[in-house]
Amino acid sequence: PEELKSPEDLARQSHLNSKPIDFTNYAPVRPGKKKTLLSDSKYESKDYQLPKWKEAFGELVIRTLNLDMDKVRSGPVAGSYYYALCKNVALQYEGEKLSETAKFFYQDLKLPRTFSQWFQITILHEWLLFVRMRAMPFKYGRNYQQKLVDRTFTDIEARLFDEMNVTTGRIVDQYLKDFNTQLRGAVFAYDEGFYTDDATLAAALWRNLFGGRKNIDMVHLEAMVRYVRSQLYVLSRMSDRDFAVGSFKFVPPDETVERLTAEQEAQLKQKTIEKYESIDNDPKILPSDRSRLSYKN
Amino acid sequence: MSSSAAVRDSAKQILKIIEKLPDERIKHLVSFKDSQAERFRRVAGLQSTDKNEKKASLEDIKDIITRTSGPLGLQKDLLKKVQSALPQDELTEQSIQEQMRALSNISNNKFKNYYDVGEKLYKPAGNPIYYQRIMDEIQGKQKETFLSALRTVVFGK
Repeated sequence: PEELKSPEDLARQSHLNSKPIDFTNYAPVRPGKKKTLLSDSKYESKDYQLPKWKEAFGELVIRTLNLDMDKVRSGPVAGSYYYALCKNVALQYEGEKLSETAKFFYQDLKLPRTFSQWFQITILHEWLLFVRMRAMPFKYGRNYQQKLVDRTFTDIEARLFDEMNVTTGRIVDQYLKDFNTQLRGAVFAYDEGFYTDDATLAAALWRNLFGGRKNIDMVHLEAMVRYVRSQLYVLSRMSDRDFAVGSFKFVPPDETVERLTAEQEAQLKQKTIEKYESIDNDPKILPSDRSRLSYKN
Repeated sequence: MSSSAAVRDSAKQILKIIEKLPDERIKHLVSFKDSQAERFRRVAGLQSTDKNEKKASLEDIKDIITRTSGPLGLQKDLLKKVQSALPQDELTEQSIQEQMRALSNISNNKFKNYYDVGEKLYKPAGNPIYYQRIMDEIQGKQKETFLSALRTVVFGK
């Protein structure tokens, strides 16, 4: 039909050069001590290899106790991998170079480089995942959501102490309560927008992500609506199994999502089915690779 | 047509799109629709509407306060400043056309239609009535009863 542009191209083509009025208490993220992305635990580091004997012991435990791996996996996948994805999108420190995705939010969309803005961008991405998690079987989807939220708040608490130099627990608690209110408000508003129409979604983005700025650039708003809807489209084409083992990544703002043709979709499904059938039918399948989640939906 | 006349003219067209945007189902202190109508009315050189009729009533404000706390780090007096600040829009013929195109894409549901996610996400397997329940609650169609609320708390759906 008509030309498709990536959200970034769309945002950049705007000629509106008004400066957004920003009345937030400008608090840059300028840490004395920077936290690692997730934790200092060796189990969460990328290059760590579990010793073979531990691996074998783990598999034995899973087999003997017949553990529900779909439940167990929610921790490492939602709490660790998916949280890291969300956190990383717009993570920024003053004086440091921005990542490509962060540039889209802070430079192209002219959002303020503050901690609370980072939080808003992060929870928008978490909400995108929530929408997909709801479509999993209830007990698993709920578990995934819980793990993601829990991890978010433990991380924010640590970041407030370490990076924002808040010294008293009482103030941190206040912030956490405030963040919790923001999270619930945003999820509710995005849910409503997702289900109803683009105009409602745009209003929700305006209020939460753009802080309700009066001289909003409609082109930026349009770019964000496209961004959100295209991510959800990708999520909707993914099987439960694929999503649950952590195969999803957010599409970067400088890439364009094109709709699949019926043929491509059938091919994609076929490939997924073949992949997981071969895993499941392998007699030597590791207990930890087992899953009851559907790879056909 | 001079360029400022063209800008005013486009602003009037944007106002027409804004008027057709859905009203907020939940009341907030400032709405997207109202704030943008106000903004482009000024650009179009039209009288701003009577502010008093749009002001939230005492009931509304009480309702808003019980639902939310102020945005983080935003003091009450600052909040007032935000409300009264007039952003300076430097709109050119080109930029206002872009604004209009963007807004009309949004109001035409372009992206919801193009990136259709289907029943899989709109009626999620884990909780098929999730969104319907939210809509019913917002529109006041079906009130939560004590028992249904209790069920949600205990079982999560």
